[in-house]
Amino acid sequence: MELEKYQKIFIQESSKYLDELDTVLIKVENDLQDRQLWGEIHGKIHSVKGMARALSMMDLATFCHAMETWCKWFQEGAKTPNERIVQLFFDGTELLKSFVAGKGEISEPRDLESLRSINEDLAKDPEALLDRAEPEVRPTVAPTKIDRIRVDYDLIESLLARSQEIMLLEKTLPPLTQDQISAGLGNWINHYISMLKGLYFQLAQLRLMPVQDFGDLFVKTIRDLAKSYNRDVKLEIEGGEIEVDIGLMDRLREPFMHLLRNAVAHGIEPSVERENAGKARTGKIVLKAERHGDQLILTVSDDGRGLDRDAISAYLKEKMGMSHDEMRTLSNEKLLNIICRPDFSSAGETTQLAGRGIGMNVIAQAIEYLGGTMKIHSEPSIGTRFIISLPLSLSIIYAVLFRLGEYTLAVPTSNVHAIENENTDASHKVSQFCDLRSLLRTDSKTKVKGHIIRLRHSATSLMPSPEEGGLGIEADAILGNMPLMAIPLGELLAKTGLFAGVGIMENGDIALILDPEKIKAAEGRIDIFD
Amino acid sequence: MDIFIFEAAGQYFGFEAKYIYRIADNVIIVPVPLMPACHEGLIYYRGDLFDVIDMGRLMENEVLTLHDDPYIILLKWNAGKMGLIPDRIVGMKWIEDNGGTGTVFNERGDMVKVMTPDGIWKKLAGLAYGT
Repeated sequence: MELEKYQKIFIQESSKYLDELDTVLIKVENDLQDRQLWGEIHGKIHSVKGMARALSMMDLATFCHAMETWCKWFQEGAKTPNERIVQLFFDGTELLKSFVAGKGEISEPRDLESLRSINEDLAKDPEALLDRAEPEVRPTVAPTKIDRIRVDYDLIESLLARSQEIMLLEKTLPPLTQDQISAGLGNWINHYISMLKGLYFQLAQLRLMPVQDFGDLFVKTIRDLAKSYNRDVKLEIEGGEIEVDIGLMDRLREPFMHLLRNAVAHGIEPSVERENAGKARTGKIVLKAERHGDQLILTVSDDGRGLDRDAISAYLKEKMGMSHDEMRTLSNEKLLNIICRPDFSSAGETTQLAGRGIGMNVIAQAIEYLGGTMKIHSEPSIGTRFIISLPLSLSIIYAVLFRLGEYTLAVPTSNVHAIENENTDASHKVSQFCDLRSLLRTDSKTKVKGHIIRLRHSATSLMPSPEEGGLGIEADAILGNMPLMAIPLGELLAKTGLFAGVGIMENGDIALILDPEKIKAAEGRIDIFD
Repeated sequence: MDIFIFEAAGQYFGFEAKYIYRIADNVIIVPVPLMPACHEGLIYYRGDLFDVIDMGRLMENEVLTLHDDPYIILLKWNAGKMGLIPDRIVGMKWIEDNGGTGTVFNERGDMVKVMTPDGIWKKLAGLAYGT
């Protein structure tokens, strides 16, 4: 499984380099002596070689190495390239594409013949190629199967917007009488609209990206940071297959950069120090993604030295005037959360704190903006964990939609135990009843005899289980159980403290997704029916 | 710079035109509970969710005009996005760059308060929300 994962990354990354290589070769064809371009060509082939070696694709690595040798000569001006040599590199690039598509192996007779022929040339001095009257005709490399394309994210957004606008046309359909519209045309319109809605939903899913790809963004940076700080660090990604909205991931890019940078710079100890402490020489940073119900949990952990508690104590004393006795009364969580205070980072720079504070308030703000929370766990010499819980990111979820007063609301289907008609018996079956109408301050004049939605108990829930009666909320009318495209709350909606996200229905309408835990936690609003 | 001018609660307001994403109409605004009175609701427009704010209520905290099918000025800037409901859209005016805020005068000598989306957002963030 791990190997497959890395092979996928290898194919994605190498294909990118090889596409770029074609572009640079076209440039160098027009300026054969441009050493900088030869340097670029060298760099791209070297990158492919490095990844191939890491995955033990030795045939591919050896072939890259032979091409690199020639690049180096042209880069340094030791040999003079000509058009025939550039063609040799074009041929070599095509062969590299076949190698990459075959995960480091080629088997097509044409490819094997091409490999033999190019290797024969690469074994010679480049000057020897100059003397040849005609370029060698090599078999055309088998074109690789096109099974993926790179698409600009803006294009996806534009397609989504376009399809949504077409859907909105439905709302402008003039009212037609039965005389004016035949049954056949009516069916055709309904079918057309239904197909369009399906298309929109599928397009929406193009906005999802695997966490693995998100984590891969940091691999090179961590490697560079590790070198700068003279650390030996590896990044592991768990739950990389979980798909998350690219917009959410983009907003998390900077905060995660800070977290990972801090982990390398201040968490992971130098190798000698680690060995002396009985730890593995190589420090480990793990980016883990999980879905717990409606929450995306992202954890960044390292096995380094942990947060510098002396520095936190010094901050509490100097900046907040706390005594040691007062500090002792602070819970571990409160103590560690001090690093998220806005002025902690500047103090960190001037008083040479461990540095964990740098940017931590920025991270906390970014997560709050997304309606999420962050917990910090840290043990001296064991490591630090940042657990970030984010509400529903863009994804397709099933939810029970209902109307209450003037509002269209939803609860994730996974949270619904049962729906019953609102009558005395039903309301007495629940041990706790939330007066959602009062909680949301809906217009009481609209109250109708509706339904009770009994919410399900979850492992982390504050709610009583269905066997205990569960938590009940009322609904004027149930609209159905349907898929919603769930997107995160903005900053303003997050302030209400009741919603988990905003759901977009297939027809583009909006429903507010309630967070049952937050409803339960809304103090003073729960009436107990016992 | 070009200033987009509109009227709300008897006052003239302006934004630098670069912040204007679209002017939308005929869009259903979905009400959200527990929001301040000036928060008219949400719209989902071209893949983005916009908080829609009644400028009259935000600036004066009272209803001056009832909007049946309002124009919504959709703003997008680096920190966010929102929609504003004016009483009336006036038009565009070119003024010397004053850093995005301050007061200018239109052709009739009316005072136009030039704002930034961030300024409005800060005002919104300072209001009371929730239970």
